[in-house]
Amino acid sequence: MILAGVKVLELGAGAAGPVATKVLAEHGARVVRIESAGRPDFLRTLFLRQNEHGLDGSPMYVLLNPNKECVSLNLKKPEAVDLVKRLVEWADVVCENFAPGVMGRFGLDAALLREIKPQLIVASGCLFGQTGPQRSYPGFGGQGSAIAGFNHLTGWPDREPHGPYATITDSLSPRYVAVAILAALLHRRRTGEGSTIDLSQIESGVYSLSELVVRWSAAGDSVGRAGNSSETCAPHGVYPCAGDDRWIAIAVEDDEQWSALVGEMRSPELADLDRFAERAAVDTRLSAWTAEQEPHALMARLQGAGVPAGVVQNTRDLLDDPQLAQRGHWVPLRHHPLGEMPFERAGFRLSESAGGLERPGPNLGEHNRAVLGGILGLSDAEIDRLIADEVVS
Amino acid sequence: MLGALDGVRVIEVGDESGALAGKILGDLGADVIKVEPPGGDLRARRAPFLGGARDPERSLPWLALHTSKRGVTLDLESERGRELFARLAAQADVVLETEGRAAFEARGIGFERLREEHAGLVWCSVTPFGGDGPYAGYRGGDLVVVAMGGNAAMTGDPDRPPVRCALPTAFYHAGPEAVIGILMALLGREEGGRGQHVDVSLQECQLQTLLSQPGQFAVHQRLSKRTGGKLGRTREIWPTRDGWVTFGLRGGPARIPNLLATVQYMDECGMAPDWLREMDWSSYDPNALEEGDLGRLEGAFAAFFAARTMRELYEEALKRRILLAPCNDAREIVEHPQLRERELFVTLEYPELGAAIEHPDFFAKMEPRPIHVSRRAPHIGEHNAEVLGALGLGTQELEGLAREGVL
Repeated sequence: MILAGVKVLELGAGAAGPVATKVLAEHGARVVRIESAGRPDFLRTLFLRQNEHGLDGSPMYVLLNPNKECVSLNLKKPEAVDLVKRLVEWADVVCENFAPGVMGRFGLDAALLREIKPQLIVASGCLFGQTGPQRSYPGFGGQGSAIAGFNHLTGWPDREPHGPYATITDSLSPRYVAVAILAALLHRRRTGEGSTIDLSQIESGVYSLSELVVRWSAAGDSVGRAGNSSETCAPHGVYPCAGDDRWIAIAVEDDEQWSALVGEMRSPELADLDRFAERAAVDTRLSAWTAEQEPHALMARLQGAGVPAGVVQNTRDLLDDPQLAQRGHWVPLRHHPLGEMPFERAGFRLSESAGGLERPGPNLGEHNRAVLGGILGLSDAEIDRLIADEVVS
Repeated sequence: MLGALDGVRVIEVGDESGALAGKILGDLGADVIKVEPPGGDLRARRAPFLGGARDPERSLPWLALHTSKRGVTLDLESERGRELFARLAAQADVVLETEGRAAFEARGIGFERLREEHAGLVWCSVTPFGGDGPYAGYRGGDLVVVAMGGNAAMTGDPDRPPVRCALPTAFYHAGPEAVIGILMALLGREEGGRGQHVDVSLQECQLQTLLSQPGQFAVHQRLSKRTGGKLGRTREIWPTRDGWVTFGLRGGPARIPNLLATVQYMDECGMAPDWLREMDWSSYDPNALEEGDLGRLEGAFAAFFAARTMRELYEEALKRRILLAPCNDAREIVEHPQLRERELFVTLEYPELGAAIEHPDFFAKMEPRPIHVSRRAPHIGEHNAEVLGALGLGTQELEGLAREGVL
């Protein structure tokens, strides 16, 4: 595995933190999460009322943390903080997404960790970053997506904003955390120097939306909700298909694709229409044509004719998708106590260093002995004493 | 100032789906050379244009996505253009393209051929569905990928078709994901010397927006549907006097303190009815509420938010630690005091366009090698002489190539 030998210590909670290191663990990095039973990762608590397995019963936690190890330490105890510092000496990378100041209150702020080990890479990835007047704002991904602009951009012009399903800064920002960590690792291989990374989930969202900022700054153009319409493609929309809540996306980029679509529709009279000026009329005709057809068969037919088209896939479709199956996107792994679940590969494959998912997300404290004994060299008796003293808890 | 990727050279060729990856590498300090067809890539240099009139040199999306890159023009359909591409790749660490490996193999400048002479080369393909599998040849931009990746089905109002974000979130996820793969391949190369192929699927990148929802479905068998401005049973989007805010009535220990703080705020403004002030939040669970009780609860919050502005609500939320946020538009983002304080925006001068334009300068603050925009996007063929000259081509030869339409 390409990152074999890279050692990552992770602190924090929620989705954005663990997603950043998931791709590292998938490619061979050893990722050790520090958690605690007293203040559990809220991802572990999401399903508390719906399952009998307590903090080990959250599918979301388990699915977003594969290949990782978990040691449970009560950081209110100085002895636990000392153990973290010893793990810092072991690690190449510390990755955390607590609110700003939390690591400092534990006595583990980035500057101090870099003093312990100057060649360390410390990555922090909270909502607003480590500095600035609003750094302590206590939001989650839902707030981050709205502040960064994604909600305002998603939905229909005549209706309220939505935001893309789920919380987009939670899926977007961790990819940038991983980018920064890997760039810092490359830099360190060449120079021996460590790095400190201060990432704001909102800022990495705004960076992605550079087009929005540039259009506003250059021309006072405020991009807003536009349904599924496009400035450069027509027709460009989501059209009904046969069945309950079945739809297909069709995006015509040029005249060649338009004449192919018109040919499939057997409506040559549409070919001469101004497809941009007559968007609404075209959409009506297209909807009437798609409405009687099975979506996957229609996609295959249109793609066969060179027209970009894709089924609006629901969750069942995704799990049955032959393309994702061929790519090995889903990796079935058995978790105790939840049973078998489909885990997800990253968005890319390396041709000669495949990587892979081998273990589901860890149960709380599952690797206490493997980490404290195996990495720090503590004896079983010492670990028993730490458990009795509630340092390990 | 040197970036973390100082000394790494990247050849980027292809459409908008790979542009953010190239920008990230450039902003990290890599020397990124964008290859366009002669006359410029008119699809990537798309509308809107600065000043309004169609002019590929004034494409605002192009200016936004091609910072920190140099630009050359090469006709990859000509023998001479392909030969020059191969010579550029021979001096590069990474080729980043969006047509897939086969299209370059067909031109005789594929990965396997080029790596014979240059074992360290890393080749990254960003395509809609990845390089193998039954959909490998399928076409698709943002809308098709957002549909096939599962997000659209759950985004939008239940009484309307599924809907997407007006700007291409599929490309936004694939950008950093491609860079992750590229940097891993570069790290691996340090060990064994050999580069490899990074095969990015826009669809698989898009699936990550679901944050493991399909895997959870396998356990719970609950199919999520479009719920408009709601999340589950409760409202997330609320109208204010001048726009919308997000605010959740969801329960759970992490959220209940902020609900109490909101009721306190409402009470201080004389807008908390008696039943709300006396409500017991310790066992609050919106999923257990009767329909009528939930309606009454939402009505009280809705009336309060509707009487205030986004800014007023957000300023109080900051003071009172309430999980409320404005649905910002471009102006509100650019003026945001927190982002200003952290100097997120940098102004680039475009004297030839008579403009000065603000760009986000970084995706993270990194020390000692900062991430930042090092130059504005290139004009069509702006660096032909500089880049091809470094391959040993003289002025006369360059002029000849331009006349033949290779550049």
